[in-house]
Amino acid sequence: MSDSVPASRLPVEGEVPPALGRELTVIGRSVDRRDALEKVTGRAAYSSDMTLPGMLHAKILRSPHAHARIRRIDVSKAEALPGVRAILTKDNTKDWSTYWYMIPQPAFPEAIAYPGQEVAVVAADTVDIARRAVELIEVDYEVLPAALTPRDALKPGALPVPILDVEKPRDGNVQHPIYHVTRGDVARGLADADVVVEERFQLPTQYHVDIQTRCTLAHWDGARLTVYESSQGVWNVKRELARSLGLDEDAVRVVVKYMGGGFGSKAGAQRVVHYAARLSMLTGRPVKLELTRPEEFLSHPRRYAAEVTLRLGATRDGTLTAVDADVLLDLGSGSLYAGRYPLFLHQIWELYRCPNASVHVLAVYTNTPPTGPARGVLDPIASFCMEATMDELAARLGMDPVALRLQNYSHWADEAQQLPYSSKRLDECIASVTRAIGWERRQALAASNGGGKRRGIGMACYCLERSGYAPFSAKADVIVRPDGGVELRAGIVDIGAGQVTMLPMLAAEELGIDPERIAIHYGDTDGTHYAPSSHASRITVEMGPATIQAASIVRRRLLAVVAPHLGVAPERLVAANGRITVRDAPERGLSFEEACRLLPEEIRATGSRGPNPEGVVFRSFGAHAVEVEVDAQTGEVAVTRFVSSHDIGRPINPKLVASQQYGAVLMGLGYALYEEAEIDRKTGVLLNGDVHQYRTPTALDTPPIEISNIEGEDPYYPYSAKPVGEAPLIGVMPAIRNAIRHALGAGINELPMSPARVIDARRRSEAPHAG
Amino acid sequence: MAVSTTRPMRPPATSRRIDVVVNGQRYARDVAARRTLAELLREDLGLIGTKVGCNRAECGSCTVVMDGRAVFACSVLAVEVDGRSIRTVEGLESAAGLHPLQAAFIEHDAVQCGICIPGMLMSLTALLDANPSPDEGDVREAVGGNLCRCGTYPNTVTAALAAARTLRERGGTAP
Repeated sequence: MSDSVPASRLPVEGEVPPALGRELTVIGRSVDRRDALEKVTGRAAYSSDMTLPGMLHAKILRSPHAHARIRRIDVSKAEALPGVRAILTKDNTKDWSTYWYMIPQPAFPEAIAYPGQEVAVVAADTVDIARRAVELIEVDYEVLPAALTPRDALKPGALPVPILDVEKPRDGNVQHPIYHVTRGDVARGLADADVVVEERFQLPTQYHVDIQTRCTLAHWDGARLTVYESSQGVWNVKRELARSLGLDEDAVRVVVKYMGGGFGSKAGAQRVVHYAARLSMLTGRPVKLELTRPEEFLSHPRRYAAEVTLRLGATRDGTLTAVDADVLLDLGSGSLYAGRYPLFLHQIWELYRCPNASVHVLAVYTNTPPTGPARGVLDPIASFCMEATMDELAARLGMDPVALRLQNYSHWADEAQQLPYSSKRLDECIASVTRAIGWERRQALAASNGGGKRRGIGMACYCLERSGYAPFSAKADVIVRPDGGVELRAGIVDIGAGQVTMLPMLAAEELGIDPERIAIHYGDTDGTHYAPSSHASRITVEMGPATIQAASIVRRRLLAVVAPHLGVAPERLVAANGRITVRDAPERGLSFEEACRLLPEEIRATGSRGPNPEGVVFRSFGAHAVEVEVDAQTGEVAVTRFVSSHDIGRPINPKLVASQQYGAVLMGLGYALYEEAEIDRKTGVLLNGDVHQYRTPTALDTPPIEISNIEGEDPYYPYSAKPVGEAPLIGVMPAIRNAIRHALGAGINELPMSPARVIDARRRSEAPHAG
Repeated sequence: MAVSTTRPMRPPATSRRIDVVVNGQRYARDVAARRTLAELLREDLGLIGTKVGCNRAECGSCTVVMDGRAVFACSVLAVEVDGRSIRTVEGLESAAGLHPLQAAFIEHDAVQCGICIPGMLMSLTALLDANPSPDEGDVREAVGGNLCRCGTYPNTVTAALAAARTLRERGGTAP
């Protein structure tokens, strides 16, 4: 890849920043994480580490029942306890809604929709008093039959789940409208096929398991609300709180300097934020509300569970003739992110060329906790089903799985309309992972299998749509001062992905200075414009263009001031490596500080993200290849090698990109092999709501992960940098599944691929007529 | 089980005086019998670097070093640390600068959201104090009880081995 930057097509409001016309000096450097020093010294204060004078502590009373009507709540004994300052229940908060993604939900409903739902919140002088007061609240429940699975919820006579998003249209327990999209004629495509394979899949929920439990410290000073939060977006929380509490947006300040893991579950204002804020407004004192680990499992919006039937039709040479997907999606007691079902399409509808396709999603409410975005959202579900079925089809056709994928490789986002991608290098990713894993060893491996340890190699491809979302109004400010000071203001949260390290690198490249010279003001709604939440891989693609535009304007204004002093036109000046020099005469110039001293006053510019252009489709792609060793007796799976190739465009900071990729792969590894909620089938109560029994990967489970990313230009992204935070998770589960299938000769269509399921697959492969 | 009745039972003390050294500094405190070491450190001594992620010895965020051994501060009672020496993440840095583990964590990007990092660092401090030449397996074992959902583990291993090398080159003493 050339180091010179091509003409940019950055989606910004107003003038597109011109190309730098020089080699990059900052982008592509593995700069150390900006906030790492505070984090390794223990100085970083997360919301749970903060206290304020006079602070009260809040605790939540939760329903033990999955489905119930509340007949009566008696708080008199709790109120009488010395040290209790305020209690919120449905009785004193009528018509109060909390907001999530700006969707209203009753703060305390009349009817309980899931075990663990909030019934009351107490603020008291100490945690102990608050806890004791919660125990003293008497609730009379009318317990109702609960629908704990979508199939139960669909049965005739099933009671309607009293869902949280009360405004969403529904028919019984089915969310409306039902999502069904088609292309071509699937019945015809299946009829034309020489081979049809049909696979059924069962995918469980996945919990985020953020290591910092949700914690808010809210302070109403009589005029203004300040909230110290553990949330992925300060601006989302500000707007949702203002709406919920009937305050002007100016009266709400939200601060998040550090947050201990989110992965989608803290994308907006959570229940605890609203409760703490309201209690502070009631008592006039700061209120801290921190969830315990068991509460974290009970109530946060976890990943959707799904049952999927997928049919693929193909001609004998492996050309797809039909893709037919039927999805039964478990929304829990609130979808919180519903309506994003097009996310199912990327793997199923778009990843491979096929004229006839159908995706049908029946989304059903159940008496289980709410669901919501989790790293990759619905794409991992779709990917597992599609990529597993592709391998089953390859087996049926006697084709190599990679050859089948290349046979159906799609160069267009929409072939009929010749709709192009901004860039797509999936073919290079496939070549990269298969070369690195030694794909040609597959046949020899399969032939040697049969003993106690069986080895297999598998792969999977993925596709992710993340290119910014409405309102497309992300803004960033860059300020340069006569004393040489440079400041970037960005209303973002660093959720651990390195956002606060990456954005100053973009501004530094434009200004031709070291990123360390730039101060960044972030994680605070005061002093910043709107920025999206750090979710949906949005920050690079939305804040990146805004930051580059702002820095570019500032640079050109600085050069205009400097130019007369050097006796040349501003267009002949170059800013790089801390100096401003005349192009082709580098001896004529001055340092960045000297240039700043020429400024009569500070220069300040605001950059704005604009909407995505029409006529081009934005996707990230990638492929994984995996080698496993399966113990045929115990069913244990050891991933012995993992190769990940992401279509990255250009990495802004390769070290941070690798960290994102490791993290995505490991979260996928847990989903693939270990993580499983055990739910009591009678009561709906989660039996393993702790981090010992709900098993996430540890350092001891971590396989060797090799990264072999593909680079190339994409003028729509900042310096061609494409998103990486979520995408690599998507293909992890099917890649491991396909490697296990190769080792055993039989596939597993349920997650996690636990030892019991592996042994079951081995038995199926040994049964007569196994196929 | 036989119960001795020769001495009268005393009611359990609700608080007790302890004497403890934390990061080289001596503290005498009256602590409630039910108070945990994590609470003592965070709330009484203001050492917020020690994090509490589960409060039941499962996530490893609260790991500190007690007399050379890595322990979960959420599951050690404050009264148990009487007469002992505790080292927390705040005690790693010295006048000479960052501990090699801290420097290596930054250099090899073994830090993402950061909430598990103090626990990781203290598990590894105990390891390197006991074993200056660990191999990869020793490192993975040492942090096997420190959960990181961001998935820093590959970099944790690289950083720990690099820090061990640095410490050996310096003659085995941390700054």
